[in-house]
Amino acid sequence: MEYKGLEAVPIHDELIKRCLQGDRQAHYELYQLYHRSMYNVGYRIVNNEEEAQDVLQEAFISAFRNLDHYRVDSTCGVWRKKIVVNKAINKVKKRRMERLPEDDRWDVREEASADVLEGFPFTVEKVKNAIKRLPDGYRMVLSLYLLEGYDHGEIAGILGITESTSKSQFNRSKKKLKELLEGGML
Amino acid sequence: MKDELKNFIDNNRSAFDDHRPPEKIWSAIESALPGMRKRSLWNSVSLWRAAAILFLGLSVYFFMTKTLQRNEGALSQVEFTDLELFYSSQIAEKVALINDIDAPGESDLFTQDFQRLDAMYQVLREEMKNRPSEKVKDALVLNLLVRIDLLNQQIKKLEDSRRPARKAKASLV
Repeated sequence: MEYKGLEAVPIHDELIKRCLQGDRQAHYELYQLYHRSMYNVGYRIVNNEEEAQDVLQEAFISAFRNLDHYRVDSTCGVWRKKIVVNKAINKVKKRRMERLPEDDRWDVREEASADVLEGFPFTVEKVKNAIKRLPDGYRMVLSLYLLEGYDHGEIAGILGITESTSKSQFNRSKKKLKELLEGGML
Repeated sequence: MKDELKNFIDNNRSAFDDHRPPEKIWSAIESALPGMRKRSLWNSVSLWRAAAILFLGLSVYFFMTKTLQRNEGALSQVEFTDLELFYSSQIAEKVALINDIDAPGESDLFTQDFQRLDAMYQVLREEMKNRPSEKVKDALVLNLLVRIDLLNQQIKKLEDSRRPARKAKASLV
């Protein structure tokens, strides 16, 4: 599994040790190191500033409270990311504005190669805005796969769907994203 | 657009982490985690609390000691006024006695000592007026006692020197 962002910073064993001793400054340093990437992971899932702030807060409190459960053999970044992703998904589930697909009825065929765009003529800003406009289910799968680096098996586990649903949802989300980008509505 | 989108996102990954959480989040996290040892002392509320308590304690201490000192000083002043009156009358009596017996200029050494003690006394008295304290009072009383002792010695000396004269007078009679 390929990780970016959260894992870019090496694991700070010394920092975690200090945190476990109750050192406030160590907690703050850990927060400073990861708050931005964690905030953005959560933001992409909930797609809402206020909820993203709640997610960040809840994720850090949970992470700090369970720091003693953090095992050296598990990658620190994976652990932290899992906390923030779970908190964010719970928020979306609570919101229930859009139900996640529950079965394979959402399956779609792989996109034809003819749909492939020539080059990639869009700016980061446009892609970001297009992702924001995706429905919750599409946005979560696309973000988890493309930006957070999870594979479909992991996404299936996180969202409580099947792996094939994750794949089909991802294909649909890409199609929708393409429509949004080409539609010039951004 | 499968690979293009993935490549594009991979190449611009950091640009997708552009949201910044507000500062208040940390305060909320911090307050939700009790029992943290505060290493950053300047930001510590309890440190400021402790400092305030210490300051209050010191203020009370200094106020109390100052008041006590003032009370003690006032007490010394009253006590001293009585003592001074008592000893001064004794001194005046003794000086008068010496003046009766002794011809002036005869006891230079004694006069010098006495004058020196009197000068010291004036200095101490000034100190007592400005900053009354037990110490200054003691010094003043000691000065008076030394002068009385000195006067007693002088009187004895003078009386002793007169005695042979009397004896001589008596033998003559």
